[in-house]
Amino acid sequence: MTLIADCGTSWTKIMEIESRKVKVLPTREIIGNRSLTFEAATGHLGRSRCKVYENELIALSLGGLMLVEEEDFVIVDVGARDTKLCQFRSRRPVRLDWNQACGAATGFTLELLGKYYEIDYSILPATRKRANVTCGVFGLERVFDSIIKGSSIEEAVASFVHGVAYNVYTFAGKPDRIYLSGGLCLNRCFVESLRFYCDVVELGRDVLLWGLVESLRERGYDTDQDQGRDRADA
Amino acid sequence: MRGKKIGYYGYPPRDALDKQRERFGGDPVDLDVDLGAPDFRVIPEVYCHIIRNIVNNALHLKDQLGVIVAAVGEDKCDQGRFAAKILKDMGFEVVEVRNHNMKRLRPLRIATSNLPLREKVERIMDLIQADDEREYVQCKPTHGFWGVPPHDMRLLELFPNTTHVYGWTRAVEYGTPADLEAEMEVDPDVPTVFYAQSFCAKNALAKYLAEKYDGLYIDVHGKLTNSVIAKVEAFIRLNWDVKHKT
Repeated sequence: MTLIADCGTSWTKIMEIESRKVKVLPTREIIGNRSLTFEAATGHLGRSRCKVYENELIALSLGGLMLVEEEDFVIVDVGARDTKLCQFRSRRPVRLDWNQACGAATGFTLELLGKYYEIDYSILPATRKRANVTCGVFGLERVFDSIIKGSSIEEAVASFVHGVAYNVYTFAGKPDRIYLSGGLCLNRCFVESLRFYCDVVELGRDVLLWGLVESLRERGYDTDQDQGRDRADA
Repeated sequence: MRGKKIGYYGYPPRDALDKQRERFGGDPVDLDVDLGAPDFRVIPEVYCHIIRNIVNNALHLKDQLGVIVAAVGEDKCDQGRFAAKILKDMGFEVVEVRNHNMKRLRPLRIATSNLPLREKVERIMDLIQADDEREYVQCKPTHGFWGVPPHDMRLLELFPNTTHVYGWTRAVEYGTPADLEAEMEVDPDVPTVFYAQSFCAKNALAKYLAEKYDGLYIDVHGKLTNSVIAKVEAFIRLNWDVKHKT
């Protein structure tokens, strides 16, 4: 059994190469388990647990090039704590970016709000109303203010989600289409908000894992390419 | 006075340095680079780190410096001129120089050699103090680095030895630090990282050229961040693959 892993700050995605099955675990569950090692990994926490390490931008790029057939495209991975971006022209990288600090364009502020108000983002309707989220923390404060002033919790949170989605769209350079990777693919409200601005193709949470598969293949590993891009649900 | 060091920044004409060498006998010290000086908080934090280095290094080495030879012309930048004024005001002896030489003094040998990139850049900058007659094995470029020597020189260690040097550093090897044409030279087919120190006016050139030639534009303020390292590593790796696949 050959395992590869994308060890994110909040979630670790593990793929068993032979079956292509992907398992998603809270990262806190693997931190203490030092015996868990991988053939290849990405993400800071995976560095000391693997034979082949790729940084996240390389894994995202290789995964994007494997899953997207267009010559020119933008792929954005919105994680809990960071947002990564790769833009390709003629399948060559022309912009690589990685926001590791600002909560105005990352998932954790959405997580915080969702947990606080017990919001299910998969059924929260997107709103055309957009909160101005220039800073994640100030943005949260505005949500509270807006609710105090009489907005419904759902409307206030959805407008905040819209603000974050708009920031991601701007960070991506306002393209016609975004290939979206990462946990926020599962947040319907976020995806629908992003669709106010551009076409969105959701690639799911395993793009970096596919990048690792490609990396191993380049290094001569037998990654059973006959299975190609077929994905198997965990 | 004899034995005191000669501080300098930018690329002063050699005769200006030699004149001070005769006067003091001490070694020239490049104040642009990170010499580990503490922050004296004279220059704002949100400002070009190279200029901060100049002022902090000068204050740190204060008693050891006989004079500062300050490049303040088009060959450096306005911020260099301001730093000279501040240092003069703080009591340093400052000799302002302008290196507007536009005649190429030597062909490119180091910028296009197969040395590690950091060594290439360091040897080019050493040309300011002394000529270099060593032989250099040339290589075909797989990648390019455009820019000035960065505050955090570890950036250069991310590149393969087959990286050619462009930008102001290349102009220094030519001996023409004010020659904008030399600074704008690129090989359009070579995937190049266009670097500028944050808050430096050269960011305009770096961004413009990166977009024109599909390169990677980066700016760095202080120490390298994981994000910058990842960007440069990815750009090199992905272009390396393309280069070798085609």
